[in-house]
Amino acid sequence: MVETQPILEFSQVALSFGETEVLKQIDLALEPGKFYTLLGPSGSGKSTILKLISGQLHADSGQIFFEGQVINDVPAEKRRVNTVFQNYSLFPNMNVFDNVAFGPRLKKLPAGEIETKVKEMLALVKLAGYENREISELSGGQQQRVAIARALANDPEVLLLDEPLSALDYKLRKDLQQELRRIQKRLDITFVFVTHDQEEALAMSDWIFVMNDGLIQQNGTPEDIYDEPINHFVADFIGETNIVPGIMKEDYLVHFVGKDFENVDAGMRPNERVEVVLRPEDLDLTDPENGKLVVTIKDQSFRGDYYEITAMDDDLNTWQVQATNPAEVGARVGLTFDPEDIHIMRYNESEEAFDARLESYDEEEAEAALQAARDDETGREEQGQ
Amino acid sequence: MTMSFKKQKKGFTSFYMGIYGLWLLAFVIAPLLLLLFKSLQTQGGHFTLANYQTFFTSGPYLAMTFNSIWYAFLITLITLVFAYPTAYFLTTLKNKQFWLLMVILPTWINLLLKTYAFIGLLGQGGLVNSSLTGLGFHPVQLLFTDWSFLLVAAYVELPFMILPIFNALNEIDPLLTAASQDLGANNWQTLRKVIWPLSMPGVKAGIQAVFIPSLSLFMITRLIGGNRVITLGTAIEEHFLVTQNWAFGSTIGVILIVAMVITMLLTQDKQKGGRS
Amino acid sequence: MKKMRTPYLIFMFLVLSLPILYLVFYSFNAGTTMQGFAGFSFKHYSELWQDTRLIDIVLETGIVALLSSLLATIIGTLGALAIFRVHRRTIKGVLLSLNNVLLVSPDVIIGAAFLILFTTLKLSLGFMTVLLSHIAFSIPIVVLMVLPRLKEMNPDLVLAAQDLGARPTQVLGQVTIPVITPGIVAGFFMALTYSLDDFAVTFFVTGNGFSTLAVEIYSRARQGVSLEINALSTLIFLLSLAIALAYYFINKVGKRAKTPELKEKVK
Repeated sequence: MVETQPILEFSQVALSFGETEVLKQIDLALEPGKFYTLLGPSGSGKSTILKLISGQLHADSGQIFFEGQVINDVPAEKRRVNTVFQNYSLFPNMNVFDNVAFGPRLKKLPAGEIETKVKEMLALVKLAGYENREISELSGGQQQRVAIARALANDPEVLLLDEPLSALDYKLRKDLQQELRRIQKRLDITFVFVTHDQEEALAMSDWIFVMNDGLIQQNGTPEDIYDEPINHFVADFIGETNIVPGIMKEDYLVHFVGKDFENVDAGMRPNERVEVVLRPEDLDLTDPENGKLVVTIKDQSFRGDYYEITAMDDDLNTWQVQATNPAEVGARVGLTFDPEDIHIMRYNESEEAFDARLESYDEEEAEAALQAARDDETGREEQGQ
Repeated sequence: MTMSFKKQKKGFTSFYMGIYGLWLLAFVIAPLLLLLFKSLQTQGGHFTLANYQTFFTSGPYLAMTFNSIWYAFLITLITLVFAYPTAYFLTTLKNKQFWLLMVILPTWINLLLKTYAFIGLLGQGGLVNSSLTGLGFHPVQLLFTDWSFLLVAAYVELPFMILPIFNALNEIDPLLTAASQDLGANNWQTLRKVIWPLSMPGVKAGIQAVFIPSLSLFMITRLIGGNRVITLGTAIEEHFLVTQNWAFGSTIGVILIVAMVITMLLTQDKQKGGRS
Repeated sequence: MKKMRTPYLIFMFLVLSLPILYLVFYSFNAGTTMQGFAGFSFKHYSELWQDTRLIDIVLETGIVALLSSLLATIIGTLGALAIFRVHRRTIKGVLLSLNNVLLVSPDVIIGAAFLILFTTLKLSLGFMTVLLSHIAFSIPIVVLMVLPRLKEMNPDLVLAAQDLGARPTQVLGQVTIPVITPGIVAGFFMALTYSLDDFAVTFFVTGNGFSTLAVEIYSRARQGVSLEINALSTLIFLLSLAIALAYYFINKVGKRAKTPELKEKVK
């Protein structure tokens, strides 16, 4: 997974506050120059990881490496990482210039150099000319930009961002997301971004760590995590989803809501109990006779670019569907989906086992099996006519 | 219905204001005006500016005023030097409110009892002198010296310096300390560049709370200072209760009030950028 | 700096508690001075028990403190309500400044000014003048304790109560007062502390017949040390210790019970 020398590495890191285990055996490795996101609900331990990296907290056990060196006992002020805090934490007794110049001044850089640095950083966050403003005169978005400039003025190897956008409104958040991505690409340093907003994580990251209960549940590219969630938690946390229990009868054949469906997953025990994931945007409405499932529309709401439809099948399972056209509440409709849209999750599968299983079967084999099944079906239909 | 609610509420408000206003008139405005009038009168009750003239042309009174301000300054400085680290360390503790209470609590007895305790502590055979003789030194005269006055006054005023500084430090967002360290500042640099400037409102409040009363600690000058240190407060007490020259006592009182107002103005918080 | 913390705080704690511990220690002295311990004895406590004048003074001091803080709390709360309802900023500012005059004035000034006031009004100096003075100088602190609670109060509460048909008296009794009660209680305790701690004002405005503890100690201390005072200090200290700790823990339990959600959020 990681080919170059990691800039930051956690090995078996654990931390407890009294009785509560905040982090349980965390292993992770970050490559230089990438945008990482720690995604999870509050209390999942994601901010704790950030504080361990910055030195605000110290691990009970395990080792933290920075460029191959153990840094567990290095005090915060000596670490080459900087943090953008959630509520900005700008010094209210200093103006914008003095806030950004705080780090460079501590390094005793010459005055001219400090000024150049501050101006450069303010230009980078699009706040050129704001040097003499007081912090209290700035809007939330501007304060966050100053906080980013202040952290970057120290030339960190790794920039830590602790839910930096959560206090901003939707529009501003979108703008700053793009801008953070731009700044990261331009400076080519490692960003570690903490958020509980899965949309934000999917939009910005090169690599996501999904956290819950002090454990990394899954890590991977945004696409991997969205398309192939490892368990119920990840599937549910990353966007709207339909999860129903099922049985994997054999490779490429799953049984749920009383019917058998072809799919593209394999490597499980015959007749293993599994969970079946179908994303709302993969479901299409059709006539009841053409539907793989038949459901009754219960509710629908307009979401701007699509309709969010809630429907119920005869077994009283609820289905979320995203449709481009409106439906009629109370109508009976069919739902269709492709075999590729079905994602199977085993109970209690570890990340390693999950990855190994995905590698174990050939996708082409799956495609071929699928094709065979399709031909078979068409054959039967033809016979019927 | 709403009209009558408003009317009734207005009636209540006027009633509250009436009672409170009566207190303001009788016990704030009237006494201060009376003090001012008294200072502008001869002993017989005629209008005069002579009292002020006497005060500002008399060497001893000016020296006493200067002395009083000088001692109040020293007391303020001593309490600040001891109170700031105390307050700072207390805010870094886990159960800070509890430990604050533990540190302040022993001083929660009447001012006179504290002063009285020092008569014992500093006396000829008191704890300090017996410790000195125990270490092989000669006993020294501690009671009725300038130093004993400073010591006891500083002791008495210390909690009034600790509390406002503690409160100001307690209000500082702990994340600002984290931010400062994150940017490369060590503890000392964080204290100097972030915490100290942000605790200034508390320091100023503490200076106000200590400096002004220190101008007028007459009981300590009497009991501990042995009348060697005469402050403005001692002079007022002397004129009112001993020599019965109320007019001149009032004059000194008015001058003390002026000194107080100047102190307040000097330590007032400039409202900078809307944040307090 | 962390290394200095504990030793420094212990040092300050010892320095600050030394005088009272010294008083307590010598209250058990069989001798008669605070210099040289001549053996353990309760005799100063029994002397104190028989000193009816001193016991009377302690009781009178307590009565003045309780009465004055009670009345100051009532008037101060009304004052806070009045100031809160003034909408013109300038008037509000003037009222607040006037309120604070007695808080920042040196005791001697307050004492002298009140003395002139009482003699001008031809009041005879004694219990009444002391009580009036204590009420007067305790009112501003009550105002300052109650006012922030009023400001924090959600104004919609009053509107909601009014909307539901509550009369002004009911709004006051069932909405406003319960919300500001912590401020009122804090104000009462501050007033009590002010009254018990006062020496200078009482010294100025009291007459021959009436004395508070502080004034009595002052006149006794000028004549020399009496270990009866030590015995009394010990008892007073224990009492204030008990009250302070009780107040602290009641406050703490109350806060914990009220703000669990808030703490969750802070986590």
